[in-house]
Amino acid sequence: MPDIVVCFKWVVDEAYIRRTSSGDLDFTSVDYKISEYDRNAIEAAVRLRDAYGGSVTAMTVSVPEATKGIKDALSRGPDNAVFIADPSFRDLESSQTAAILGGVIKSRMSCQLVICGEGSGDFYAQQVGPRLAEILGIPCATYVQKITIDGGQVIAERKAEDFVEVVAMPMPALVTVLPDIGTPRIPGVKDTLMASKKPVVTLGKGDLERIPEASLKTVGMKASRMERECEKFTVDTADIARFVGALQRKGVLR
Amino acid sequence: MPGVWVLAENRSQTLELLTIGRFMAGKIGTSLSVFLCQDRESAGDYMACGADEVLLLPEIAKDQSLDAYIPILSEEAGKADPDLFLIASTFRLKEIAARVATRLNTGLCSDCIKIYFNDRSGAVEMERLMYGGAAVQRVVCQSRPIMVTVPPRTFEPAGTESGRKGQIRSLKESPRSAGRVLERKRRERESKDIREAKVVVCVGRGVEKKEDIALARELAEVLRGEIAGTRPVTEELHWLPEELCIGLSGIQIKPELYVGIGVSGQIQHVTGFRDAKVICAVNKDANAPIFGVADMGIVGDLYDVVPKLINELKK
Repeated sequence: MPDIVVCFKWVVDEAYIRRTSSGDLDFTSVDYKISEYDRNAIEAAVRLRDAYGGSVTAMTVSVPEATKGIKDALSRGPDNAVFIADPSFRDLESSQTAAILGGVIKSRMSCQLVICGEGSGDFYAQQVGPRLAEILGIPCATYVQKITIDGGQVIAERKAEDFVEVVAMPMPALVTVLPDIGTPRIPGVKDTLMASKKPVVTLGKGDLERIPEASLKTVGMKASRMERECEKFTVDTADIARFVGALQRKGVLR
Repeated sequence: MPGVWVLAENRSQTLELLTIGRFMAGKIGTSLSVFLCQDRESAGDYMACGADEVLLLPEIAKDQSLDAYIPILSEEAGKADPDLFLIASTFRLKEIAARVATRLNTGLCSDCIKIYFNDRSGAVEMERLMYGGAAVQRVVCQSRPIMVTVPPRTFEPAGTESGRKGQIRSLKESPRSAGRVLERKRRERESKDIREAKVVVCVGRGVEKKEDIALARELAEVLRGEIAGTRPVTEELHWLPEELCIGLSGIQIKPELYVGIGVSGQIQHVTGFRDAKVICAVNKDANAPIFGVADMGIVGDLYDVVPKLINELKK
C-alpha cells in the first residue's frame, strides 16, 4: 500500500501564445493549464492507488494563482494536495523546483513512490524528476511506460532508444512517466465538486529552507520563425491539378 | 584538468559531439576529453577525430543501468573541474545528466540546438526550444561546469585528422546502483526509420478511424514516401507504432516533402518537421494552425481531397 506523491506543473497554454511583428512573444491572452504530461502522471498515480491501495498526494510549486490547478488536479483523483506558493515562483529553474519539492517531502511527508511527468509543457527541460530523486537520495527510472509494485519494490519498464529496460527498484523510488502509462480521465461534475472538499496543505516561502540560486540565465527569448508560402487551394478538381503541378515544379515528386 | 567533456551512448552520437566539442575547446582554449564505455578499439578513432584524452569507463554488470556511472562521473567532474560537459540527449543519458548536474550544483541546458562562444563576453551561449517549439530561449550558465544535453543528429560527425595523438586513462569501478535491471526487451521496429524518408505523409486526428489510415497509406505509396502520425494517433490511440510519432517528444524529420492529413498543427507536432523542404496540409478547418506553417494547403474534407489527389498524382 504505497503512499504516492505526484508532482505537476501549472503552465501557460502554449496554444494562446502569439508572435508580435517584431518577433517577440505575446502572452496577453494566455490561459493556464496542468501540463499535459503531468496529467498522465496523475492518472498513473491514481490507477496504482486503485490497484494497490495507499494514498495519492498531488503537489506543485507555483504562484498563488495556481490554486485553480490544485482544484483541477484533485478532480482527477488524488486524495489530497500540497500547494507550495509564492509570487516569486513564476520562473523557477528545474534545480530550484526540485530543491523546494525535495525539502518539503523530506521534512514533512512520508511516501514510497514519487511520480512526475516526462517533462513540462513550457520548458520541457525534463530535469525536475531526476533532480528530485537525487535530492531525496532515492533510485529513479525515467520515461517509464509501465509500473507494477511487488512487495517493497517498484518494477518499471523504461523506454530507451532501441529497447525497453525493465528495472526493479527498492522503494522509496521515483519514476517519470510517458503518456503510454494511461490516458488521463476527464473529470465530471461530481469529481469537480468532490475536489473542493479534499484537504490541501498550503505552504509559503517562510515554511521552506533556503532556495538555491538559479544557474541558468535567460539572455534572449524570441518567437521561433517559420516562413512559409501559405498558399491555399480548394477541393475542386482544377485546384487539385494546380496543387499537383506546384509539387512537380518544386521537384518533390519522384 | 579543465576541458570540454563528451559523453554519448554510441559511436555516431560521440562523433557528432566531438565536432562541437572540438570547436568549443578551441574557442575556450582548452582540451577535449571523451568518455568511452563500449567498443574500446574506438579510442584511436576518437583521438583522430579531435579528442585529446579518452576516459575509459569501467564495464558495468549486465543487471545495472547507466545510472551506475553517476558516482564516477560526478567524482571525476568534481576533481577535474571541466569547463563544458556535452552529453547526448538519449532517454537514459538525459536522466544521468540531470542527476550529475544536481550533485555538482550546476545548471543543465536540456536539448540544446545551438551553442555559440560569445567572443566579446567570453561566455558560452546556448539555444533551446520552449513552449513546444513556439519560442527559442537563449541561456548562459553561471556555474561550473556548463552542462548541456544535445539531441542526436544536431551536428555533423567529426572527420579524422592524421597525426593526432592523445592519452587514454582508465577510470575506477563505480559502486552498484540501487536499481536492478531484470530484462532488456528489444523493441522490434514495425516500420522503416522515417528520418531517412524523402517524403512523409503524416496522419492526424482528423482521420476518423484506424481503418482510414489506409487512405493516407495509399497517398504515401503514390508519392513514394512513408507514413507517420501525430502524438494522439501514435502514442495515445496506437493506430500507428510509436516510433512513427513526429514531434518535439517524438522524432524530428527533415524530408523533402511533408504532407499532413487531418493534422491541426499543434506547435509540439510542427516542431518535429519544421525544417522540411516543402510542407503541405489537408484540413477541413480553414483556420487550422497548420495552414500558417504550410507552403501549400488544401482546405477541404480529407475523405474528399485525398482520393482526388491520388487520382491526379497517378496521371
